Amino acid sequence: MDPLRSYLGRLLLEEITPVVMVLTTPLAEAACRKSGLSFVDMLSPFSLFKKIDVPVRTASEVPYRLQMFKIRMVYASDVQKEDYEVSDERIKPVVSEANEKALPDLLSDPPQLEDVLGKPKAELCPLWIKKFNRELMRTLSFSEHETFDHPVACLLVVSSMDKEPISKFVDLFNTNQLPSLLNEGIMDPQILKHYLVLHDQQEGPQDIAVSVLAEMRSTLGLNDCKLLCINSSTEADGSNPDNTWLPYTALGLENREGTCFLSTDDLNEIKDFMQDFASNHIIPYMEQKIRVLNQQVATTRKGFRNQIKNLWWRKRDDVPEAPNGPMYTFTSIESQIRVLGDFAFMLRDYELALSNYRLLATDYKLDKAWKRFAGVQEMSGLCYFMLDQSRKDAEYCMENAFSTYLRIGSSGQRNATRCGLWWAEMLKTREQYREASSVYFRVSNEEPSLHSAVLLEQAASCYLLSSPPMLRKYGFHLILAGNSYYMSDQRQHAVRAYRNALFVYKQNPWSYINDHVHFNVGRWYGVLGILDVAIKHLLEVIACSHQSLITQNMFLSDFFHYVQSMGKKFDVYKLQLPVFNMSSLRVIHEDHRTYASDADVDVSEGTWQELEEELIPSSSVVRTNWLDTQPKSSLRKYKDSCVCVAGEAVKVNVELKNPLQIPVDVSGISLICQLSTNLDALSFDVSGLTLDAGEDKVNAEPSVSILETDEDNFIVSKLDIILGGGESKIVQLDVTPKVEGILKLVGVRWTLSNSVVGYQYFEFGAQKKNKKGKRGRRRSFNNSLVVIKGLPKLTGSIDRMPTKAFAGDLQLLKLNLRNLSQFAVKGIKMKISNPRFVIPGDSPDIDLEFPDCLKKHTQSEINLVPYKSTKENFKGSLFAFPQDIEIQAGGTHSWPIWFHAATPGNVSLYISLYYEMESSSDIKYRTLRMHYNLEVLPSLDISFAISKSSSRLQEYIVRMDVMNKTPSESFVLHQLSCVGSKWAVSALSSCNSISSVETVSANQAVSCFFKIKDFEADSCKESESGSYRSDMALYPGSNGDVFDIARSPLADFHFQERYRQGKLAKVTCSLLDFVLISKEAGNSSKPSPDLQLLSHHTCHCSALSQSPIWWLMEGPRAITHDFSKSCCEVSIQLVIHNSAAHKSSVRVVTSDVMPEKSQTVHPHDSTSVQGGWHDVSLENDIKAISSAKGTRHEKQSSKSISPYVWCSLSSAQIELQPDSCSRVPLKVCIFAPGTYNFSNYELQWKVLPSKEAQVDENGSSGGGPGHPFYVTVLQSV
Amino acid sequence: MASTACFVIVSKNDIPIYEAEVGSAPKKEDMSYHHQFILHAALDVVQDLAWTTNAMFLKSVDRFNDLVVSVYVTAGHTRFMLLHDSRSEDGIKSFFQEVHELYIKIFLNPLYLPGSRITSSHFDTKVRALARKYL
Repeated sequence: MDPLRSYLGRLLLEEITPVVMVLTTPLAEAACRKSGLSFVDMLSPFSLFKKIDVPVRTASEVPYRLQMFKIRMVYASDVQKEDYEVSDERIKPVVSEANEKALPDLLSDPPQLEDVLGKPKAELCPLWIKKFNRELMRTLSFSEHETFDHPVACLLVVSSMDKEPISKFVDLFNTNQLPSLLNEGIMDPQILKHYLVLHDQQEGPQDIAVSVLAEMRSTLGLNDCKLLCINSSTEADGSNPDNTWLPYTALGLENREGTCFLSTDDLNEIKDFMQDFASNHIIPYMEQKIRVLNQQVATTRKGFRNQIKNLWWRKRDDVPEAPNGPMYTFTSIESQIRVLGDFAFMLRDYELALSNYRLLATDYKLDKAWKRFAGVQEMSGLCYFMLDQSRKDAEYCMENAFSTYLRIGSSGQRNATRCGLWWAEMLKTREQYREASSVYFRVSNEEPSLHSAVLLEQAASCYLLSSPPMLRKYGFHLILAGNSYYMSDQRQHAVRAYRNALFVYKQNPWSYINDHVHFNVGRWYGVLGILDVAIKHLLEVIACSHQSLITQNMFLSDFFHYVQSMGKKFDVYKLQLPVFNMSSLRVIHEDHRTYASDADVDVSEGTWQELEEELIPSSSVVRTNWLDTQPKSSLRKYKDSCVCVAGEAVKVNVELKNPLQIPVDVSGISLICQLSTNLDALSFDVSGLTLDAGEDKVNAEPSVSILETDEDNFIVSKLDIILGGGESKIVQLDVTPKVEGILKLVGVRWTLSNSVVGYQYFEFGAQKKNKKGKRGRRRSFNNSLVVIKGLPKLTGSIDRMPTKAFAGDLQLLKLNLRNLSQFAVKGIKMKISNPRFVIPGDSPDIDLEFPDCLKKHTQSEINLVPYKSTKENFKGSLFAFPQDIEIQAGGTHSWPIWFHAATPGNVSLYISLYYEMESSSDIKYRTLRMHYNLEVLPSLDISFAISKSSSRLQEYIVRMDVMNKTPSESFVLHQLSCVGSKWAVSALSSCNSISSVETVSANQAVSCFFKIKDFEADSCKESESGSYRSDMALYPGSNGDVFDIARSPLADFHFQERYRQGKLAKVTCSLLDFVLISKEAGNSSKPSPDLQLLSHHTCHCSALSQSPIWWLMEGPRAITHDFSKSCCEVSIQLVIHNSAAHKSSVRVVTSDVMPEKSQTVHPHDSTSVQGGWHDVSLENDIKAISSAKGTRHEKQSSKSISPYVWCSLSSAQIELQPDSCSRVPLKVCIFAPGTYNFSNYELQWKVLPSKEAQVDENGSSGGGPGHPFYVTVLQSV
Repeated sequence: MASTACFVIVSKNDIPIYEAEVGSAPKKEDMSYHHQFILHAALDVVQDLAWTTNAMFLKSVDRFNDLVVSVYVTAGHTRFMLLHDSRSEDGIKSFFQEVHELYIKIFLNPLYLPGSRITSSHFDTKVRALARKYL
């Protein structure tokens, strides 16, 4: 690219041009004012020559032609360095002017990526920025260290009206009026002078001016004087000038006041004057000067000798270091070289300029005149650029200059800025945009905020232009620019900058960036008064959970501030505060299935269906098509949609979460619904709505205000809550349809802090369906529900249903049913999931006092009728209420319910109630589902150990171990019962009083012993007496009030327990069921209002030994016999009982020889005293010594001979039928008085299995020695 | 001496998946977004630079005033970016290498979805310990 055609080239051609200092008299100025212009303004449009085409010959002998040329016209008073403050004030309007233009732009949508990338380059750097750059550079005009602003010529203007014009010219160039720079010797006062007489045609004829001109020519020189006539136009209107000025307006000439007396002739005259002035005076003068200076430089500095001399001279001259280096006057050789260089630059002899600049650079470097050095470097950089030579050198020079300027501190700052701007332009020309932007960025650091903002914006645009576009950098720099704009009070610009950056950060997961951008854009829009856009942006940031509390507060308060200044409520789609967790959305509606409480809905449908299998009519079990039974065909369309009942609320559960740490006030949370009574119209609509779910729906939806009120058709609940910081709550929203039709749940709306209405539509996407598949109830869920005619509805609850209970707890509860509708219901049935815990009572029980109703009534009152009836009604776990029960509209009904906490653990109880409609309607029946969770704590742990009594047949000794497992409660044992009439329980005769064990304290264990007896055994009838009963009171004072376990509900519960514990196997007679009833001891601090009753059921207990044969010796215990006459014959009987289920054969063998072990048997009492010690080795010796100890051992001491002789039979074999007794008579012959143990026999038995049944090996056969049977025989007197 | 150090892991979709202020300078509210801006803008440079070298450690790629951005690019084009004051390059390199090992462990977790946010507190404490060690 030709550097002259580039932007920087043109900039340099226009900016670095010869300066003409203008001096005018007041009258001349006044003449110009008539047209509303100053003299300089009038001339400046004509100071630019696009095609001057003048031959120029500088130092080299070859002439070249100059095409474009420009002269800068400056008043003498302006030839001075401006204050920074003043110049900055001048720049400000440039920016703020653009500000106002930007305003309408801000109302449009922010630009998108494609827009920005598609923009032409020129638009990225708008005109005002270029103007700004130029103004920024101009603030450095007339600096000391540069000479291209030094006036080349001086134009002295005198009006023809002035008296004594010649002397005026002299006065004008009086030294004390000249700019200080000229007087201080920095500028060369010996410059080209040009004299001009300005004649105002309106003031009079031209003659005076001509005469003045002639006079001037004679005194001041022939060529240097000119006459210029203006204001020749007589009509002072604005119509004519429009055409004539047209070519010049573009050059910055503006006729502001509308009146203009300049005619076309005048303008042409001015043009000719300027052309002449430039080509005939200025350029030749500059050529002349260049040649002179070049000569001078050549003689003093060029050549080897001069260089040596120069170095020598400079080295010796150790000047003290000053920031600007030593003072150079215009006569110094350095200044002259600089002038030479600048003139050459202005005349575009860049080679000459460059060689001089380089020469100068070394000098200044040696002198440590850094500012001048930098200036020279800057110019040589530009020369390199204009020559389009070595880019590297150009950049090196610019960089060098830039850093040098920066190094010298504040005085070089602005210079650094200018240098940077040139440098950046240079890089831009060469399309090194990234480097350019970094230069801009460096420059911006040195400038006040306003300037740096504009510079940063340019840096940003450079990033955009670089290839590939660096969008993030672009965004970042725009943000920086925006910040700077804001700091310098340019809000529109700030918003514009941020807005342009928005697309970079759109949908950006960098949270802090997002918040910052949106918050600031929003806030600034708010400041500008564009509230709706402000709120739109602030909405993006109000749900910022990651920010600190202070920031959240700030965001929120700003947001509400603007919302309130809006002065009205407005709707926001998808307001982020609070967050509605749509995946938690659940719709609860009741068709034929109704629920007692909301928690019951959580139970899976499968559980209910299983429970209700027997309950509901079989035709409806197939759930998908129960609506097919409806005669109305129109409803068939909505087979897949859900059904709800008019007048009954449809509930929607949804979770709200406050992401902030600040509590927010959410009010008026309600559902947005539509209810259409026109079925046909909506059938289309329903299908349409389900299709276009999601974002598209937003546009299609009718506005919220339409949906808001439809009071005739349905009622919507409104909910107000305050969500604390970070809190999430599940809220329940209701809608109650009033008429039949189709109810559509569209969305939810809420009001945030009474100022912003947020709304959100439900989305019914595909992934929702998957989730719903898990829960049967909402499988077919979509947002529309078919509303059918009002139906009766029962609500029910169980009074005082415990949530915690001790195991065994027995309570009487009440089931309350209430019919809220206007129709009666009938045919009530109930099914309970776990009859072990809950069983329905009988209807009379409702009035009974608990626990008195359980007590045993007197014999006359006992009848088994209610027990039976309950059994009938309560088959399995299905319970049908009596047919005559009908709950009328508005009526209530109560039914007793027995509760028994059977086992410890967490238990879920499901109760389902079925009822039918009195009136015919769409739905034939409904079910009421109740669900309770309860925790059963362990209380008493009871175990029984049963062993056979060795002294009696059909009697057992029972050890009951009671362990209290509660940490703090103690229980009073009340009653122990054996179930069934077959068994009787009684205390052991030895310990009649068991009052010591009446209370079992916490963590204690108690054992007690009982005797039980089989009533029904044929052989044992004789011992029946009043003390044998199946119930035994354990509490001393409670003999009278024993609970009757044979009646409902204890019997029912026992039935269930028995079923659970023993799988209800064959009941054999040896299995026992016990029921222990205990009471909670009321000794603790809390007064128990009602007595707690616990019943523990232990089933299928059996004796420890499983031997089926049970034998016993019977006979007299004491006999008196006269041994002198004969030996004594004792008749005894062996009673053998077969308790096995099969026939068995038993063999009894008597033996006269004492078995070995019988000799070693110690007396029972002594063994027990010794506590298990057996001294075996010394036994025989002791025996010998103590042989005379007792009479009973007398006979035994002889080893092999028994003291008695079996005399009847030595062996007997009998067969025993199952469960029968048999007696074997035995006889013993005794020869001497004493106590005898007739145990010298053996019993061998064998079970004879019946043909079909197999008996296990262990129990099939066995045997054992005889039980000890002591008989004392006395000598009769 | 209070120093600034902001460490960010950026997934290949330019989403920050882990952020930590590991410098000893007291955390200021307004600085966090500032750091994010700088790091976000530096991604542009990384994008160019990552394909010009075989090394994973790209050294310092960008600077903003006196803050320097050092970047380490993994094979999966996940970028570890550290915004810091001028400091020894060796320490930063070792820091990145050790964090890379930690990151790979995270990556090996079958329950971790690549490109999602790293929420492991273990990872966080480890990274902070490494920062104390090397930075």
